[in-house]
Amino acid sequence: MLQDLWHNLDYAASVVLFCIGLYTVITKSNLIKKFMGLNIMETSVFAFIVALGVVDGGDAPIMGAGAEAPFINPLPQALILTGIVVAVSTTALALSLIIRIWKQTGTIEADELRGME
Amino acid sequence: MITWPPLLALLIAVPMTSAVLTPAIARGSARRAFWWALAVMSVASIIAAMLIIRVSHEGPFSYVVGGWVAPYGIELRFDEFSAAIAIICLLGTLAIIFSKEYVTHAIAEPRIPYYYTLLLLNLMAMIGFTVTGDLFNLFVFMEILSLSGYALVAVSGERIAEMAAFKYLVMGAVSSLLVLFSIGLLYALTGSLNMADVAERLDGAAAAPLAVAFACITLGFMVKSAVFPLHVWLPDAHAIAPSPISAVLSGLVVKVGIIGMLRVYQIAYSSGAVDMTGLNTVLMWLGAISIVMGAFFAVFQDDIKLMLAYSTISNIGYIVMGLGLASTYGVIGASVHVFNHALIKATLFLGAGAIIHQTGKRTLSDLAGVGRAMPFTVAAISIGAISIVGIPPTAGFLCKWYIALGAMQAGRPFFAFALVFGALFIFIYYIRMVNAFYFQKPKDPSILEVHEAPATMLGPTLLLAALCLVMGVFGRLPLSFIEPAVNRLLAPLGGG
Amino acid sequence: MMRRALIVVLLIAVAAPLMLAMSQLPPHGSPETPPYTHVSPYYLEHGAEEGGAENIVTSVILNYRGFDTQHEVTVIFTAMAAVLAVLLLAGSEPTDAEDAPGESPVPVSVVVRFIVRVLAPFIALFSAYVVLNGHITPGGGFQGGTIAGALVIALSLVMSREEADALLPRKPEHLLQAAAPIAFFLTGVAGLALFGDYLFFPRDEAFRWAAVLMLTVIEVGIGVGGASVLVRIFRAMRAD
Repeated sequence: MLQDLWHNLDYAASVVLFCIGLYTVITKSNLIKKFMGLNIMETSVFAFIVALGVVDGGDAPIMGAGAEAPFINPLPQALILTGIVVAVSTTALALSLIIRIWKQTGTIEADELRGME
Repeated sequence: MITWPPLLALLIAVPMTSAVLTPAIARGSARRAFWWALAVMSVASIIAAMLIIRVSHEGPFSYVVGGWVAPYGIELRFDEFSAAIAIICLLGTLAIIFSKEYVTHAIAEPRIPYYYTLLLLNLMAMIGFTVTGDLFNLFVFMEILSLSGYALVAVSGERIAEMAAFKYLVMGAVSSLLVLFSIGLLYALTGSLNMADVAERLDGAAAAPLAVAFACITLGFMVKSAVFPLHVWLPDAHAIAPSPISAVLSGLVVKVGIIGMLRVYQIAYSSGAVDMTGLNTVLMWLGAISIVMGAFFAVFQDDIKLMLAYSTISNIGYIVMGLGLASTYGVIGASVHVFNHALIKATLFLGAGAIIHQTGKRTLSDLAGVGRAMPFTVAAISIGAISIVGIPPTAGFLCKWYIALGAMQAGRPFFAFALVFGALFIFIYYIRMVNAFYFQKPKDPSILEVHEAPATMLGPTLLLAALCLVMGVFGRLPLSFIEPAVNRLLAPLGGG
Repeated sequence: MMRRALIVVLLIAVAAPLMLAMSQLPPHGSPETPPYTHVSPYYLEHGAEEGGAENIVTSVILNYRGFDTQHEVTVIFTAMAAVLAVLLLAGSEPTDAEDAPGESPVPVSVVVRFIVRVLAPFIALFSAYVVLNGHITPGGGFQGGTIAGALVIALSLVMSREEADALLPRKPEHLLQAAAPIAFFLTGVAGLALFGDYLFFPRDEAFRWAAVLMLTVIEVGIGVGGASVLVRIFRAMRAD
């Protein structure tokens, strides 16, 4: 198993990144930090999917003069462009919510907020 | 019957683009935004009706956008399960009508055009979610509807609203992530994103990634539909949102997880490469626990909307249990309960919204005796309550009966027992509510002086209550409509 | 301590099955994997002539999976509507900000001000280049739009509010923000009217100009829409 994992080191790295993000989401009390953890998790999934498209010695998939096979798989890149947009949108909304929470309660620490509810 | 193929793409594209135009049309005016939203919903409903008529005649059909062939372009697929768009259009239209008077008090004025924009986007994304046959497209629609959902919870600007929305957002974002991750895994294993194509190519895929993919995607959808241990975001979010939004969230948006699960099951069963028995057992148990726990929490709530929110968890439990049973009756009952619960819960939330709007109070103890002041609304709520318990001539009965039959069919009578036990619990807390509204002495006599809500609020509530009764009488219609789809789904299992 | 141990256990419980799954995936970088042998060879082979763009990623985004991208830009719009629904306050359009107009509240150093103003035209040119060259180079509407949006944001930081607000026209504001989905819809309907399929891009050599035109309309729409949405989100957060 470890040998196989060594081959798929890129994928394994995204699992590690995922766990770092999850750790941040669970342990940090500050809402912005919590959300940063979520962003790290998102990035790990993006990295995983983009890594799926890599082929050894591959070139950027842009045709035209001088382009030579093999090319990198274009589909994961296209998907992750969408994924990034979604992540940015979620971040914008989350930050607005945090702004409002801070204005209304004067704190963005989850433990203190829990006490207020 | 119209069989023009591109209609399926227009079903999503036309209303979605119109929704995006709402702020430009409204130019700050709440009235213009309202009428525009209503017009968009009408167009969507007409297209939806044409498609549903077509599917009932000729069975599932599909359209690949842009004139490509299936795995290369994005395939939209309309089957009997997609007929759920009927209830999306119906509830959406009624929620918008209900909003007309409601939002003028509940929401700050500059936000109102964006309120309608988000509501429309939410409904249209749900339609897209039900109709698409492409895994990644599914994810995109899920994100539109999640984002608009989070914002709609916070739109009232009440003190806890933003915190509830943030909790919803974090849980929702994690679940979306799980879904995206599974889509990535499935893509790694098959090289395709088209659901039918993925199902065909799953054979021979490595066991561990396959299991992880199906586990993660189901887990993601379970968060979206608030199955018991993953429900923590739901009560606050659904209780604090403006009432028409609560109706849409509780009636429709949580069902998105269910429809997602149905799609996953379609892939799993038709490929035959995945053993779903373990997952099914988990779903059955979680369903049963949700039924009991949701009902249990609901009994102790004094806030009517919070009580309704917990009752949603309980009802999602029925649906998930029906799916997990994987027997014909169970799945039919579950699919139809998606539809019926939407009707019933919308009746209850809109009724509750009308009461809260008129009286300004939201706890059972404060609202004692309101039945004498608002007889029509409370009558509608009572019909909703009877339906949700599942007393015969109403909409809730047949599907719960089917799920119970499904439990017997699957050889697991224990779950039929859990279902009946849950129904008893539900009976207790709705009786408590109806009792408080009709028979208890008002705590504050001024409650007797309130009037019925305006027609735009009373009308949708009464219409929905009437539909609860009608669906009780014609309850077999949706059951027989969905049956071919369920048979097709379960056929690979050898007749269920 | 107990809590920390629990978290470590949880993380291991999450990581172990994921690692197992990762180890069994088709080997990374191999050209034999399903993703590389099933759908994408078709894109790589035909993308340049059928898709209308030499950059295959652009072909996939705008053409093969154009329907996805249409809703992706709707996601951006949804984000803006969501931010406004959460942040707009009663009684005030935030662009007419509650705080008094005039110099930006935080003093900006002369160096920053000078550099931003000097670089501005070049950044604008670059963003236009990125938008319009998305079909042959890495780039496109999203990237170019982001650059343009960042430019306006950078300028708003060094300018007074009135000056900054004049950068984007107020009147067609709502239409500009919706530009991306509208551009997609119009292109889609054009494809439907002329060739019979929603979002159909002509593949014949004879109609290549039409395909290029459609791609350009969408790219520009995405660029304009993306930039206006970013700026609007920024302004909503600033006014608060």
